[in-house]
Amino acid sequence: MIRSLDTIAARSVLVSLIGITLVHMLSLWTYERALERELTIVHEARLAERLIAIKHSVMLVPAARRETVAHDLSGGPIEAHWSAFKGAVAGGPGVERWQGLATQIVALAPDLRAADVVVGSSAGADPHVALVSLRLADDSWINFSLFAAGPPRASGHGTLLSTSLMALGVILLSVLVARWLSRPIRTVADAVGRLTPGTGSAVVPATGPREVRELAGAFNDMQRRIADLVERRTQSLAAVSHDLRTPLTRLKLRVEDLPDATLAGAMTRDIGDMEQMIDATLSYLRGDADDEPLRSIDLVALLVTIVDDARDAGHDCSLTGPAHLVIDSRLMGLKRAFANLVGNAVRYGGKVEVAVAARRSAVDVTIDDDGPGIPDESLRAVFEPFVRLEGSRSRETGGVGLGLTIAKANIEAVGGTIALTNRPTGGLRVHVTLLLRST
Amino acid sequence: MSSPETAPADTPPPGSTDGHILIVDDDAQIRQLAGRFLREHGHRVTGARDAREMRTAIATGTIDLVVLDVMLPGTSGLELCREIRAGSSMPIIMLTALGSETDRIVGLEIGADDYVAKPFNPRELLARINALLRRTRAHLTPLTPGVGSQLTFEGWTLDTRRRELTDPKGVVIDLSTGEYDLLQTFLEFPQRVLTRDQLMDAAKHRIATGFDRAIDIQVSRLRKKIDVGEDGQAMIKTIRGSGYMFVPAVERR
Repeated sequence: MIRSLDTIAARSVLVSLIGITLVHMLSLWTYERALERELTIVHEARLAERLIAIKHSVMLVPAARRETVAHDLSGGPIEAHWSAFKGAVAGGPGVERWQGLATQIVALAPDLRAADVVVGSSAGADPHVALVSLRLADDSWINFSLFAAGPPRASGHGTLLSTSLMALGVILLSVLVARWLSRPIRTVADAVGRLTPGTGSAVVPATGPREVRELAGAFNDMQRRIADLVERRTQSLAAVSHDLRTPLTRLKLRVEDLPDATLAGAMTRDIGDMEQMIDATLSYLRGDADDEPLRSIDLVALLVTIVDDARDAGHDCSLTGPAHLVIDSRLMGLKRAFANLVGNAVRYGGKVEVAVAARRSAVDVTIDDDGPGIPDESLRAVFEPFVRLEGSRSRETGGVGLGLTIAKANIEAVGGTIALTNRPTGGLRVHVTLLLRST
Repeated sequence: MSSPETAPADTPPPGSTDGHILIVDDDAQIRQLAGRFLREHGHRVTGARDAREMRTAIATGTIDLVVLDVMLPGTSGLELCREIRAGSSMPIIMLTALGSETDRIVGLEIGADDYVAKPFNPRELLARINALLRRTRAHLTPLTPGVGSQLTFEGWTLDTRRRELTDPKGVVIDLSTGEYDLLQTFLEFPQRVLTRDQLMDAAKHRIATGFDRAIDIQVSRLRKKIDVGEDGQAMIKTIRGSGYMFVPAVERR
């Protein structure tokens, strides 16, 4: 119940339903009270007319027949008797409800004075029975016993039907209104859900009621601010990379002037490491993985290039597998991923074996090294950005801690997976699975 | 610093790779250091810090080759490259941002002859300058006619703008820089014997020792990647004692 009242629509339906039902009940009650009063007056008037009519009829016959005629004219709630004496005693319990009748009688029969009409309760003090005595012209009395049959009541069915119809109408209308009111909010929520921070792409439509327009405006503002922030960050990164290029170029040129070849070589390697770090950091922050379109590429040709480069750099690196293997993927992303993985392997292990094997709809690439491996508890942590391991794979071998992060991001961007395991014979195995047809 | 900085004039002997190099870079020290390095290797060097100085230097009519930084204050290097190209076919080497594919592709598209990523290795810059000068001097204009950036042979396509090779089925075949340079040279001079010396210029990024051996390795690696032609014949034929020949006909589109 609480769950189903979770939406603005449900809540406003409930609130308007309760409110309108209350108002409806109150007005219905007031109306019925008024109706009842009206009916009571009409009823009293009719009663009074009959009493006066009986009185007139009795008056027209001789005294001997008066009792018989009076009795004959009785009926319904009225029982009439003629006598020489007054039957009613003024006052008594419940007599006030009959006062209206007395007034009506006096009003209809101007020959009667107020003292000629006596209204009193019955001998048994039954509030539903009243005794009314009217004085005739000859001072004899006609006494009526009146049984209080209430005025006819209005039918309850009509009221129930109208109430139900009204409630139904209210529900229908408030559902429509609530939908109409909450739709712009839904639209805003949907649009906000589609936003990719920093791209500034989707704009939340500023339509609907003012509050919703303001909300949409606020979201758009926020989005612009995020886009600005990302833009500024990217720009400052580009600026840093540009500013670093110049001193690095100078350094490279200065190294050429060094007379000590060993020192020059070491410095060149240091500068190379710095270049790689800047390159990796920029690539990671730019999110290169997503820009490239999916294309048919020869995975083996790509791995051959990387393995050949490692060999040219003097590493013991080999590749086994088919001569060609075509997959749908992103060339630059995968090239960077495998270059990082093979680069890691040759850095930490002496002998590196890369193997490619095609399955029905996937490709397995394994990169085995005979290095020290990674402690089992760190096998997942190494994929986190800027994570570096103490001990076996140490800082002295260079790198910025982004190689595996970028590799994982690029491989996952084409629907692949990457897992690290320590080989039973020692060394690390990187197992990459790629889809033949990326989705 | 006075500019343009000009080294003492010395006329290069004919046939040599020595030339008058104009370095356009806004960093004075890079102009100075690179200038010294290139002078030590036989070139005459002029530095220019911006578009105005570059125009002044080019107006002297003695410049053989321009090394142009993409990131310049004011007018960008790409703009200047287009400006030079509009008036002459002077060789241009662009210095592009590290790892910026866009700069490289745009640079080559608007007429730069080559590019070197900054921070560059001075020896690589030297090798590329020498190769480009040698090629220009020898009037080694590509034999493959046409003006497009795509070279096609037996269904394969080498896109020189994207530096990308695709096989007849449209599969992208990854090439190393050396393999790419080598293939491009073969495609520009097809059905003609190319000596290892000539191919050396193609493998200009390789500055390690043992060039001849390196060329042989590059050729064998390239052969593995492009396999054999449609008729079952090897596309790259070894000409015993002299070099290699690219057999299929090449079209430029």
